[in-house]
Amino acid sequence: MLRLRSLLFLAVSLLTCLYARSSTGDSVLVIVEPNKQDNYSLFFDGLKEQGYELTFRAPKAEGPLVVEYDVPSFSHVIILASETKNFAKDVTPQSLVQVLGKKTNLIIALSSKQTSLSSLAAEFSLILPPPGTPLVSYFPEREEPPQVVPVSVQANSVVSSNIKPVWFSGVPHSIGNNPMVVPILRAPAESFASETDGGSPDALVDAAERGGEGLWAGSQLGLVTGFQTLDNSRVTFVGGADLFSDEFAQKEISKDIPSGNVAFARDVVAWTFQETNILRIESTTHHHVNQTEPSEQYTTNDELVYTAYISKYEPKTSIWAPCSDIKDLQLEFTMLDPHIRTALLPVSGNPGKYSATFRAPYRHGVFKFVIDYKRRGFTYLKSSTTVPVVPPRHDGYPRFLSAAWPYYTGAISTSIGFFLFSALWLAGDSREKKAKGHKAE
Amino acid sequence: MAPKSSTPASANVARTLWKAYSDDTPDRLKFIDAFLFFLMLSGIAQFLYCVLVTNYPFNAFLAGFASTVGQFVLTASMRSQVNPENKNEFKDVSPERAFGDFALGSIILHFFVYNFLG
Repeated sequence: MLRLRSLLFLAVSLLTCLYARSSTGDSVLVIVEPNKQDNYSLFFDGLKEQGYELTFRAPKAEGPLVVEYDVPSFSHVIILASETKNFAKDVTPQSLVQVLGKKTNLIIALSSKQTSLSSLAAEFSLILPPPGTPLVSYFPEREEPPQVVPVSVQANSVVSSNIKPVWFSGVPHSIGNNPMVVPILRAPAESFASETDGGSPDALVDAAERGGEGLWAGSQLGLVTGFQTLDNSRVTFVGGADLFSDEFAQKEISKDIPSGNVAFARDVVAWTFQETNILRIESTTHHHVNQTEPSEQYTTNDELVYTAYISKYEPKTSIWAPCSDIKDLQLEFTMLDPHIRTALLPVSGNPGKYSATFRAPYRHGVFKFVIDYKRRGFTYLKSSTTVPVVPPRHDGYPRFLSAAWPYYTGAISTSIGFFLFSALWLAGDSREKKAKGHKAE
Repeated sequence: MAPKSSTPASANVARTLWKAYSDDTPDRLKFIDAFLFFLMLSGIAQFLYCVLVTNYPFNAFLAGFASTVGQFVLTASMRSQVNPENKNEFKDVSPERAFGDFALGSIILHFFVYNFLG
């Protein structure tokens, strides 16, 4: 019966998730205790179907190394060995952060035991409770122990909207005030951290007093939280490795309704391993309003046009398709401070093209066209194009202004008056001379 | 003739001045004075425009105003050099030489004015 059920779930997962590829690579290193590896067989099989190549490694094994000679060996790393106190020498918080800086994505499972990776979570603004205090909830009434908690999934930029509640067992964490944190799963409102796993109640009270009352309770707790670094690599901290286990994947959430663990794991993996919410700037260009080629330099008060082409990665077809969905893109024209900050709007009829037209400011200097787009859950878009803006040349100023006509007529009338005056003066002079000459005779 | 004692004294003075001017000044000098008066009007007009409306192309205002003022100065200089009453002052400046100086200075003035007018 169990075999049939597992086959059924396998078939369901096959049907619901189509082949989807990561945009940064397929090699995955899975660090898991060998005797627990079979507990996650559904999860690993699902990953293999997506096209990932899994390499398994025991936590204390010497190889394969995570990073070798400053080059990461794998595109992604999953650490499900949440109960191991000591890892091999190359799996340390420092090496994991180094590998994140080299565009490797991580999924790290935490547990109520303190390991060398617990300090890593604090670096990402996640405040773990004291050791031995997992999440506990006495509602809803169920046969499972209180540490096994059904959590309903709210839709956000990472998970889709129709996922059934998931079974969770592990530690919650409190999320600090970091804009790069992407909360994925929040604890139910009736849950709290309790010292049921051998923790000390005093430690819990002390931690709560230091951090404020209610720090380890309620829906402000996160259970699965992602973090996107400035290099656009993503790391997800999962409060308990049981979220990916076969037992929870097959457990029913209510009568005849399977849990959403498989779909939830699929979405978390898709976001963390750079399948979904991936954007990139294909190219940018700038030119005068009436031209098409970029100029070497611009003059103050010139009308400039800046264009950016942005595409989004389609995981199902593994291609980068132009994307005109971004509604709040901004362009800054910056010299130490943004002199111009304007909306970069999508151009209708041209998918993926965003354009803005503006007048260069009165200041001359070296300016930058800056795109700095940071939204939770999406890759950060950054682009900077430096361009000189020079003051007008001596003959570049506007001439023959209509406001200056009185001055033009004044000057011209003076000249004409001068010419008429001299003509008449000389005529009069010659007449006087003739009269004088006449008189002298 | 009815006496002019009923009119105010300033009007009397102005009328006497005007009568003396029009009787005593030779025609040539009156011609120069007319040109000077025209230049003065033009300069005042440009100045009023600058002060009341806008001084936006300030270089244009300076050029136009300087044009009238410079031409006024040159013409006034010629008038004093050509005036027969000043013959003792300007022994070695004949009226032709005065006019030549005036013309050369005016040409140079107009050249600068149009260069600065923009």
